[in-house]
Amino acid sequence: MNEATLHARLAASGVGGIGALDTSAKDPFVVVEKDALLAALAFLRDDPQCRMEMLHNVTAVERPEAMEVVYHLCSLAHHHSLTVKVRLPRPEGGTHQNWIPEVPSAAGLWAAADWHEREQWDLLGVRFTGHPDLRRILLPAEWIGHPLRKDYVYPTEHGGMPLELDAVPLYERREGAPLPAAKPPREAGTPLFQPPSPFSTRPAAAGGKTVEPGQDRPGNEGHS
Amino acid sequence: MEALELYTVDDRADLYTEELKLNLGPQHPSTHGVLRVELKMDGEIITASRADIGYLHRCAEKIGENVSYLQFTPYTDRMDYLAACNNELAWSLTVEKLLGVEAPERAQWLRVIVCELNRIASHLIAFGTYGIDMGANTPFFYAFREREAIMALLERPSGGRMLYNYVRPGGVAHDIDEAWLPDVLAFCDEFERRWAEYNQILTTNRIFIGRTANVGVLPREMALAWGCTGPVLRGSGVKWDLRRDVPYLWPYEELEFDVPVGEGTHGTLGDCWDRYWVRMREMMESVRIIRQACQRVPSGDFMDKNLLRQYKTPLKPPRGEAYLRCENPRGELGFYVVSEGGTSPIRCRARGPSFCNLSVLDALLPGCMIADGVAIIGSLDIVLGEVDR
Repeated sequence: MNEATLHARLAASGVGGIGALDTSAKDPFVVVEKDALLAALAFLRDDPQCRMEMLHNVTAVERPEAMEVVYHLCSLAHHHSLTVKVRLPRPEGGTHQNWIPEVPSAAGLWAAADWHEREQWDLLGVRFTGHPDLRRILLPAEWIGHPLRKDYVYPTEHGGMPLELDAVPLYERREGAPLPAAKPPREAGTPLFQPPSPFSTRPAAAGGKTVEPGQDRPGNEGHS
Repeated sequence: MEALELYTVDDRADLYTEELKLNLGPQHPSTHGVLRVELKMDGEIITASRADIGYLHRCAEKIGENVSYLQFTPYTDRMDYLAACNNELAWSLTVEKLLGVEAPERAQWLRVIVCELNRIASHLIAFGTYGIDMGANTPFFYAFREREAIMALLERPSGGRMLYNYVRPGGVAHDIDEAWLPDVLAFCDEFERRWAEYNQILTTNRIFIGRTANVGVLPREMALAWGCTGPVLRGSGVKWDLRRDVPYLWPYEELEFDVPVGEGTHGTLGDCWDRYWVRMREMMESVRIIRQACQRVPSGDFMDKNLLRQYKTPLKPPRGEAYLRCENPRGELGFYVVSEGGTSPIRCRARGPSFCNLSVLDALLPGCMIADGVAIIGSLDIVLGEVDR
C-alpha cells in the first residue's frame, strides 16, 4: 500500500483525531491528535494490512508555532512506510526554559522507542509521558537545557571547565608573552553565537573557492 | 524497565554471594569504543545491565543545522567512520531527494562499487575484532591485510584512506583512473581466495563456535521490536535488505545478489554465530555485486553539471522534508532533513543503525556469563561514533 491507502485505512479505523494526508513535503505525512496518538500507532502496528512491525525513527522538529514529534514507521511484510506526526502548539512566549511539550510515550508499543525518546528528551526537551526511564542519554546527567532548541544558550563553563572557544588561546601564548587583552565581559545569559533569528537563512559564504571535480587539488599534483 | 526488577539477588542463603556492581568500559578493548556498561553481577552471571552512551557525542545534528548541505557531507563520514562511503551516500541521496535531482548514470554505478568495497572493509573489521574478542588474535591481521588493499583502492579516486568525502550530492567528487576498475576486479579474485582462509582459521574453529553458538540469542520478534536492522536482524532469520526490498539506488534493482540470513547452523537461530556468519557471507555477496557493477559502468558525467554550478553558492533546497533509509554495513541509516528554503536545514536527524542495535543489549545481557557479554557486544558490531554522533 502507498501512503494514501494507508492513510485511508487509518482514517476508517475508528480512531479519532486523524488529520488529512499532507503531501506538500517530499514525504507525505499524517498529523494525528496528541490524545489519539497511541491508538493510531497501535492500529498501524496490529492491523494485518498495515503491519508496521518496526518503529524506525522517532524525532522532533521545533518550528516557530509548534513542536512536531515525528514517527517513521515501516512494514517489512508489506514493504511500505508511513510518517506520523503530532503537533504540540507553542504557548504564548514559550521558550526552552519555560516550555516542555509533552506527548505520550510509544515505548509500550515498540521497545525501540525507549532510546529514541530519551534522545529527543535530551536534545530537544520533549517529555514523553509514561516512558519507563526518561533520563538524558547523550549528554551528562547534570547538563542544563536542551541544545537542539533554537533559542538554546551555549553555556560558558561546564564543571569548572571554560567552554568559550577563545577562553584558552591555542596558538598565541608563548612563555613570558603578555596575556591577551581581556575581552569585555559578556552579559550573563547572552548566547556565544547570536544568529539573527532562529529561522532566518544565513547569507551565502563569501570567497569560497571551489575545485572542479577531476581537476587536481592544490598540492596534489602528480598523484592520481 | 523489566531489567530493574532483576536487581534482586537470589535469596537462597547457602548460595548467596554479594551482588557486585561492575563497570565494563568506558575504556575497554572489547567495547569497540567508548561504551560503558553498568553491570550487576551475581558471581559470574550478569543479573542486570545498563548501557551508558554519549562519551563520543560530537553534536552532529546541531552542526548539521549550522552548516550548508554540502559542508555536512564530511561530518557524516565521521558518524560510522568504518563505512564512510555508505554514510555519504545516505546523506547525498537525502539531499538529492529534497532537491529533486538524480545523479548521472556513471556516478550511480561508481557509488555502488565504492559502497560495496566499503562494506567489505567494514565487515573485515567486524570479523577481525570479533576474533580478538574471542581470544583469537591472528584473524585480525588477515583482515587488516585485505582492508589495506581496499583502502588503497578507495584512496585513488577520493584521496582519503578512511574518511573519503567522495560521494556528494549530485554524484561523486572525482572520476576514477583507467586502471581502477581492472584493479578492483583483481582484488575481487584475490579476496575470494582469502575469504576461504578466514573460514579455515575462524569460522570453522571449534573453540570459536563453542564461544558463539547458542549465546546471545535474539529472537525475530525481539529484533523487530527493538528496531534492529542489518546483519543483526538478518541473523535472526529475517530476510530483509533495503538493497533488495526498497532499492534506494536503481542499479541495485538490476544486480543479482542474495540476502544471507541466519539459519541456526550451530545452535539456536539468532545467536552470535549466526550474526557473524551473515556478515561473512555478505562480503561474498558484495564481491558478486562489485563484479557485475564493474561491467556496467558507462562513460559520461560523474557529477550532475547543473548541480555543480550551484555548488559555487550554498545549495538551497525548497521547503520540504525528506526521510531516506540506506542499507549500511551495520543496518539501516536514515536521514531526516527538514528544509525551510535556507542554506542549512532546520532539522537534520541521523538515525544510526548502531544506536538501535545497541539498545537491545540491556535486554540480551541479563542471565549471561560475563565472558558471553563480550561475545554479545562484539556480535552486534557497533561503532560508537554513530551511536553517539
